[in-house]
Amino acid sequence: MHDIVDLEARGIPSAFVASTEFVVAADTQARALGFDAVARVFVPHPIQDRTDDEMRALADAAFDEIWASVTR
Amino acid sequence: MTERSLLDPTSERTPSSRERLARPETLSGLKVGLLDISKARGNVFLDRLEALLTARDVTVSRFSKPTFTKPAPIDLRHEISTTCDVVIEALAD
Amino acid sequence: MKLVAVVKRECPTCTLIEPVLKQLDATDGIELTVFTQDDPMFPAGVASVSFDEDLSFSYHHDVETVPTLIADDRERIVGWSRDAWEQFTGVDGLGPGLPDHRPGCGSLSVDPSLVDELRARFESHRLRARRVDLADLEDEMEALYDRGWTDGLPVVPPTERRVLRMLEGTTRAADEIVAVVPPDLVECTVEKVAINAVLAGCAPEHLPVVLTALEAACTDEFNMHGLLATTMPVGPVLIVNGPIRRRIGMNSGVNVLGQGNRANATIGRALQLVIRNVGGGRPGGVDRATQGNPGKVSFCFPEDEEGSPWEPLHVERGFAREASTVTLFPGEGPRGVIDQLSRDPESLARSFAACLRTVQHPKLPMVFDAILVVSPEHGRVFREAGWTRAKVKERLHELTLLEGAEIVRGAGGIAEGVPDWAKDTQLPKFRPEGIVLVHAGGGAGLFSTIIAGWANGETGSQPVTREIR
Repeated sequence: MHDIVDLEARGIPSAFVASTEFVVAADTQARALGFDAVARVFVPHPIQDRTDDEMRALADAAFDEIWASVTR
Repeated sequence: MTERSLLDPTSERTPSSRERLARPETLSGLKVGLLDISKARGNVFLDRLEALLTARDVTVSRFSKPTFTKPAPIDLRHEISTTCDVVIEALAD
Repeated sequence: MKLVAVVKRECPTCTLIEPVLKQLDATDGIELTVFTQDDPMFPAGVASVSFDEDLSFSYHHDVETVPTLIADDRERIVGWSRDAWEQFTGVDGLGPGLPDHRPGCGSLSVDPSLVDELRARFESHRLRARRVDLADLEDEMEALYDRGWTDGLPVVPPTERRVLRMLEGTTRAADEIVAVVPPDLVECTVEKVAINAVLAGCAPEHLPVVLTALEAACTDEFNMHGLLATTMPVGPVLIVNGPIRRRIGMNSGVNVLGQGNRANATIGRALQLVIRNVGGGRPGGVDRATQGNPGKVSFCFPEDEEGSPWEPLHVERGFAREASTVTLFPGEGPRGVIDQLSRDPESLARSFAACLRTVQHPKLPMVFDAILVVSPEHGRVFREAGWTRAKVKERLHELTLLEGAEIVRGAGGIAEGVPDWAKDTQLPKFRPEGIVLVHAGGGAGLFSTIIAGWANGETGSQPVTREIR
């Protein structure tokens, strides 16, 4: 989150992707950094024990939302 | 009232909260940086993103942080910000 | 008779008169309420005692001394004096055995260590500006940079307490509109000016100068919008005259145009911050200056009237000597003029004229004004020769008459210049009001200063003087 806030400050539209475990933490962090509107996309938890195919499927499923988070 | 509540010195014609930067119409034709926070499995996710983006005429660069426990080093942030139009950071869990 | 007494136990006079309060409480026809500031158990033996714990009663009734005795919500006396209390209450024989009189103490509601807090507690409803809360992880100084509120140097965080304290510097109402500020043409209140004055580092006594400078800057004649939007390196230059200079501690001596004095440095800065933050005028936005100049951060100085060979600038411009004024001039950064050998006024005037000719460009007449800041050592040359303000300016105008043949385009191998029709004429470098003469600087040094101006006339800017109230 710090990285995204910093990159946006440098003029680079940015977003981060995290698992759904992070939703509340992300809101809190964003607010604490004074940037409620930080662009963020969530993919279903868990992550660690997914197979490669499952990870690719997560990427496919999240792709449109990720694209939208950094375009108009 | 705490010392961290300030009075706005501006004309108040713009929102006081921080807004996202204006985004481009499309990523096609742009340089997109994929920043890996270096947690396990993230690279597979980002590989797939890279493939999907490349198929849409996006020039993808890959970066990774030395550790997910700290913000990216300043040199890395500088490098990213001077070579990319847009950045996607993944994958925190 | 309804009597209200305000006391505090910590005050020896208040404890001294405890028996008097008991006497009054026991008197028929007297309805006594005592407000106690520090100890709810004091005074003893009085029926109606109210603990003014948050000091709201004392604050809103402007209690400055304890004990204060208020009759029927109208008149009041302070301290202890048997004669005064007996006459005030109509009750005789008060406090037998007590000394005849004793002065009171300071009320807690005016205690210097509590003043800011009380003001914030009771006056914050007067403030209308949007509140901006810093996020937990934001550094309070970085946050102000992040929000774009600074001119590149750090600014003072504008908390409620600081803004309320700043507003003490003026009797004007916080919601009074001072000016319509370009470029966004925003109605700017006293409160908004105060917030920016806090940012700039002003003290409350500086605020009236900032308010007046803003009024002057936003006039049609001064044309702040044009001054901001130009590609020329100009900004508002503030010259302060009158008694206010000493009262607020301005520096008109050594290093007058330089750093170090809070009033000089922050007043000019506050004006620019208002233009930036309220008016929306920023470099890269409406401000398109090709190169700019460091004076655009802040450029404000007082005239040295006391050591001047002449009457002050504001008197020349039609104000009473006892009036305090600020004059706004559309100017660049300062440029030095050295003359260490001229002993007579004619020679010195010629030095000045030679340098004044180069304001903006030696081949361009009429369009640009200039301030000439004459130092005390140079001023002495004019004083000893008896040259008045008018005489100095008259001679400077004569000496800066330009020969057409020298200033037409192409003359001297320089493309810049005036059209060919001027070739056989003489053109004045400055319009009749175009030289502003000011006296300031340290006592040693045969150097003066020229501050070149932006374009004058209809589309440009004129100097404007306003009285500070």
